[in-house]
Amino acid sequence: VEDLSAHNKKFQKELKSGTVALVLLGVLENSNEPLYGYQIAHKITEDQETEIMKQGALYPVLRSLARSGFLKSRVQVSESGPPRRYYQITAAGRTALREWTVIWRENRDFIDAVLEGNVSV
Amino acid sequence: VSDAIDSYLKALRTELAGADPATVQDALGDAEEHLRTALDAALAETGGDEATLLAPILAKYGTPAEVARAYRDAADRTRPGLGSTRPRERNPLQRFFGVMVDPQAYAALAFLLFSMVTGIFFFTWTITGISLSLGLFVLIIGLPFFGLFVFSLQGLALVEGRLIEATLGIRMPRRAPSSPSGRGLVGKFMARLTDPRTWSTMLYFVLKLPLGVITFSVFITLLAYALELLLLPVLQYVLGFPLIVFGEHRFFVPAFLTPVLMLAGFLELAIVLHLAKKTGTGLGRLGKSMLVLR
Repeated sequence: VEDLSAHNKKFQKELKSGTVALVLLGVLENSNEPLYGYQIAHKITEDQETEIMKQGALYPVLRSLARSGFLKSRVQVSESGPPRRYYQITAAGRTALREWTVIWRENRDFIDAVLEGNVSV
Repeated sequence: VSDAIDSYLKALRTELAGADPATVQDALGDAEEHLRTALDAALAETGGDEATLLAPILAKYGTPAEVARAYRDAADRTRPGLGSTRPRERNPLQRFFGVMVDPQAYAALAFLLFSMVTGIFFFTWTITGISLSLGLFVLIIGLPFFGLFVFSLQGLALVEGRLIEATLGIRMPRRAPSSPSGRGLVGKFMARLTDPRTWSTMLYFVLKLPLGVITFSVFITLLAYALELLLLPVLQYVLGFPLIVFGEHRFFVPAFLTPVLMLAGFLELAIVLHLAKKTGTGLGRLGKSMLVLR
């Protein structure tokens, strides 16, 4: 294995492609008010040393969550600059978040157990 | 002001070449909103030279290629509207009558019938807007009125797009096209005037009335015939309605023919639903080509 970093990148990409939606639902659930894309991206990438994902890749996921009915959105004109699309979590989104959180924890516990050698295969 | 943002958007558009126009419009709108907001935030926080502030923002947002890939991936994962995942039946008979339980066929039929209502509204709106603007041109308020009218078209086009996507399953934009960076109301107005989309939208709204009247009349008639044949026993034996009334004469169907005619009604309903799907798709494509120019 000559170039491990390329493989690291690929692993990172595959891992996050499934979890971004969960993160976005979590951020919007914890927010008391509707947020627009830049605020969400800012919240996620603010206190991270390493850049886990490009901010531009968050927007299509927000759109597909809205298309599935997990988020609702509305466009509001801002006093400066272009209009902003505000996203808010829906009841269906909250249900999905609860269930996905369970699935996430199960997977995390299983993987941890395997890595720590606690699973007999 | 923000040439760098414009050139980024141009690069993103190039990267998205061949993608669905509605996806392109969404991606450009998202990028513009983000980059401008981030730039404004940075200017307010630290101040300084825009070009140097923009570089890290662009790096964080991702290269045009990366962002384009993210949109392509998302577009592949989610299919619009009622785009169902129903399995493909092989049997031609099943495929023909399967349309009776196909939600898309009924949605298309609803679009065709409803087109007359939206057609009347869009037509009236457009003709009134144009003629009032022309009439008021001699007065000072003519130009601002025309401006308001032109801006309203974009919102109506978005509404029609949502209707098309919901009922016909054709991907349409979820947000209005991003306005060019030339700020100020007059600049935006001029940009709208030189945008061919403005004029093709007007033409579409005018065309929508005759098209809506035709589709409504044709499909309501076909549907009425099919239902009459299907409900023949109820009409004839319970309610006492004849199949045909011709002057003084009232024609009732002999009992032995009733099942045959009911079968014909069933057949007609299936044909009408197929026709509705085909016509709906055609009209949806027309709408897409006129409301979302490539």
